[in-house]
Amino acid sequence: MKDKREVIREEMAMRGKITEILRDGPKTVPEVAQALGRPTEEVMFWMMAMRKYALIEETEEITEDGYYKYRLKEGRK
Amino acid sequence: MKKYDVLVIGAGIAGMETSLNLGDMGYKVLLVEKTPSVGGKMILLSKVFPTLDCASCISTPKMAATAHHPNITLLTSSEVEEVARKNGNFRARIKRRAVFVDPAKCTGCQECEFACTVAVPDEYNFGLVARRAAHIPFPQAVPKKAVIERAGTSPCSFACPTYIKAHGYIALARAGRFEQAFHLIMEDAPLVGTLGRACYAPCEDECTRGSLEGPLPIRRIKRFIADYYYSRHPEPEYGPPEEKKDQKVAVVGSGPAGLSAAYFLAQKGYRVVIFEAQKEPGGMLRYALPSFRLPKDVVERDIKNITALGVEIKASTRVESLRELREKGFDAVFLAIGTWEGRKMGIPGEELEGVEDSIEFLKEVNSGREYELSGKRVLVVGGGNVAIDSARVALRLGAKEVIVQYRRSRKEMPAFDWEVTDAEEEGVKFQYLKAPVRFIGESGRVKQVESIKMRLGEPDESGRRKPIPIEGSQERMDVDLVILAIGLKPATSPFASELELNKNGTVKVNSKTLQTSLPYVFAGGDVVTGPSMIVEAMGQGKRAAFFIDLFLQGKDLESAEYEYKLPKVSREEVLSRQLTHSKLPPLERKMVPPSERVKDFREEELPMSEEEVLYASSRCLDCGICSECHECVRVCPADAIDFNQKPVKMDVEVDAVVLSQGFKLFPAEKKPQYGFGRFPNVINAMQMDRLLAPTRPYNTVLRPSDGKVPDNIAYVLCTGSRDRTVGNPICSQICCMYSLKQAQLLMGALPLADITIYYMDLRAFGKGYEEFLQQAKDMGVQFVKGRIAKIEQKENGNLLLHYEDIENGGIKKVAEHDLVVLSVGILPNPEIAKIFKEEKLELDQFFYIKQVDEDLSPARTSIEGVFVAGTAAGPKDIPDSILTAGAASAEVAAYIESRRRAK
Repeated sequence: MKDKREVIREEMAMRGKITEILRDGPKTVPEVAQALGRPTEEVMFWMMAMRKYALIEETEEITEDGYYKYRLKEGRK
Repeated sequence: MKKYDVLVIGAGIAGMETSLNLGDMGYKVLLVEKTPSVGGKMILLSKVFPTLDCASCISTPKMAATAHHPNITLLTSSEVEEVARKNGNFRARIKRRAVFVDPAKCTGCQECEFACTVAVPDEYNFGLVARRAAHIPFPQAVPKKAVIERAGTSPCSFACPTYIKAHGYIALARAGRFEQAFHLIMEDAPLVGTLGRACYAPCEDECTRGSLEGPLPIRRIKRFIADYYYSRHPEPEYGPPEEKKDQKVAVVGSGPAGLSAAYFLAQKGYRVVIFEAQKEPGGMLRYALPSFRLPKDVVERDIKNITALGVEIKASTRVESLRELREKGFDAVFLAIGTWEGRKMGIPGEELEGVEDSIEFLKEVNSGREYELSGKRVLVVGGGNVAIDSARVALRLGAKEVIVQYRRSRKEMPAFDWEVTDAEEEGVKFQYLKAPVRFIGESGRVKQVESIKMRLGEPDESGRRKPIPIEGSQERMDVDLVILAIGLKPATSPFASELELNKNGTVKVNSKTLQTSLPYVFAGGDVVTGPSMIVEAMGQGKRAAFFIDLFLQGKDLESAEYEYKLPKVSREEVLSRQLTHSKLPPLERKMVPPSERVKDFREEELPMSEEEVLYASSRCLDCGICSECHECVRVCPADAIDFNQKPVKMDVEVDAVVLSQGFKLFPAEKKPQYGFGRFPNVINAMQMDRLLAPTRPYNTVLRPSDGKVPDNIAYVLCTGSRDRTVGNPICSQICCMYSLKQAQLLMGALPLADITIYYMDLRAFGKGYEEFLQQAKDMGVQFVKGRIAKIEQKENGNLLLHYEDIENGGIKKVAEHDLVVLSVGILPNPEIAKIFKEEKLELDQFFYIKQVDEDLSPARTSIEGVFVAGTAAGPKDIPDSILTAGAASAEVAAYIESRRRAK
């Protein structure tokens, strides 16, 4: 596992890429991680920060494996 | 000195309760809290045990009451540095840190937080998610005011002579905000395209990443930003300022110093006229730098940034009298005429045709003069940047052979190493330790050069080893053109009768204000410093504009503060923030191949792609934490951001002191066998409390490794308490109960989840605690008696717990869970003892504050008049913390009253 501080710092550079991936529709953290080619625990940091800062939101859907899906949130850029 | 009755240190639940009690009794309380909010750890909890009341619902009224109580003065982001006895009372020295936000203006709207470009771990969510450098600590913070975390000035920004916020524009580029990045650079320097190509980038020399794999390509990122912006905005988006001043300023010289000064003066509304002796503005940028390094259309677009403000440029107008300008109605003058005279060698034959001065040669080429050098041999004399530029220009003009003679070795060469390498790649030949002694002509034109070999002696006044001619080593070589590049000096002789000059011809100025001996004349750039960097000249122009503005307002110049900067953050501090650093190799500079680029004057350096810029900028280590990108300034609707805010120190006198600084959590990394910090799904109980709280970092309880809803959660009790191996042999008193609380809350939040608590023994000693334990059992929480020996991680993120099943014969077992919570113990905060300089604050054997009379006067400490409340004296739960706060309040009141009666 990379140093947490280093992973978190990358969020700003990753936002645009995650936004592009979610334009295709709601996705789970592992699905976004696969599309980005990055580990899920890193993507978790970035997506949860994007959620905290109102760029994405969870859908009501939860997969059979127990994952929420996230979609782009209208409003803030 | 301000006087209070009581100083309370720490605004957790015990500190707030003590302050409220004393405030209600009528005592004047000064409550000092080191974080930006009151509330301590309790406000961050989900619920409290055993009642399962909402922690926020209980805490927030206390927090608000504390902040608004008429008898309580609250200082957040502040620390008590020293407490000493004074006339029977105490004198306390307090430092209030700068938070760079005016709390009186901040409305708590969070706009700054949303705009901020720096992400750091959120300590209020115990690292589960990011926060911003500009932030409000947590949603219920009191006071609800933003603060900006700044560790200092980032080394890159600190190194810039014109204080371009390099870290700021890197952070904006990293976020893809290229237009904002351009505007940020424009706050400090209007020649963005020029600097993006021709700056020698002192910022990169200071980049902390340089001590890892190599510095960020800060200059090239700036070039990308300039190109990005200029391709979308061929013309500036602004015009002259609406508010004009009547005063006029003459700027003499349109090089980087003059243009920069004109830009900043015009922004302030002054009527600025630039006088330029040459046909076109730009100075050295236009006439000295070869266009393969700095295309002239880039210079022209940069200059538009200045002229758009209404600055008038009078080209082909040479100024030779400053008093004349004054007589023409200019209220101030900025002299920035650069260094345009080449130094002479003082050897025979310098007057021959074909022996040219380098700066004249470059000027002629940049002015369009056609040199015919095909098949010719060119000798360049000198080792600086101008020499290298001249040699490379000569190659592009078709010279068959270009030789640079330099009297020292390559090591001493003033030119940058990469410039020499570029020239070598193109075919320029270097003859080191050699210098001409005479030029030999035929019919008035140079035909040959006679040079002598050198050896290096002792260092001279410049620190470089002095070249010494080797007698008898002279040799001759045929040449067609000689370019002398041995140094430049300013052409200041016309001003010698008006201004004080230095011996080398530069203008004498006040180094702070750049004011000359003629008060209305300021000078800057190369004419003051001698030949320097573009960005240094621009810095002087910016500085001069600041002081000319003050001068024209009739203000005192010497007492003015120019560009307040926080101290530079040290490399060691930045690197120590992380345990490990991934290897992120730097991107090599991409150039047109040498064989191609010597064919013409096309730009030699290739631009970075957007993808490359994102990668390169994401290597930034955020040294200063806040990047100074000024996005918060841009978006704050209340104009509350203040980057000039400074820390404040204050002394107060108090009758009594209460220590309520709380506790620290046991750092679970100290039990490496549990994998905390290595395995994402091993978290501590405070993190679980955050996941369960209404203001949680995720949408629900999720695994940090991948966002899965966990369905088989384990608790490991006594992590870091009752454990001599980590130096904490005592029971933390709260871990059993908070684990039971969380288990019950989890069963409510995740009804299908299995919860297992691994314990040594369960301690349910308080009121209602035994019933609380039973309730957990009834809900289906499983209990396993056995200490966990180690935890391993499976590929899917699940965890294997190895333990001894004590109640089933002590056999070794392995259990699999998808999330593990370490029920960490608590540790003392003994650093507080250091603030007492004259009397010793005694600690107990476990480093909590010693209660000297625990039975009868539980708040008393070893120092008379100093009391303790809450967990500062030892582990305890919230009800007990509040009880001790009540005890401390009563004892403080009794102490103060008895002393006053005695007087």
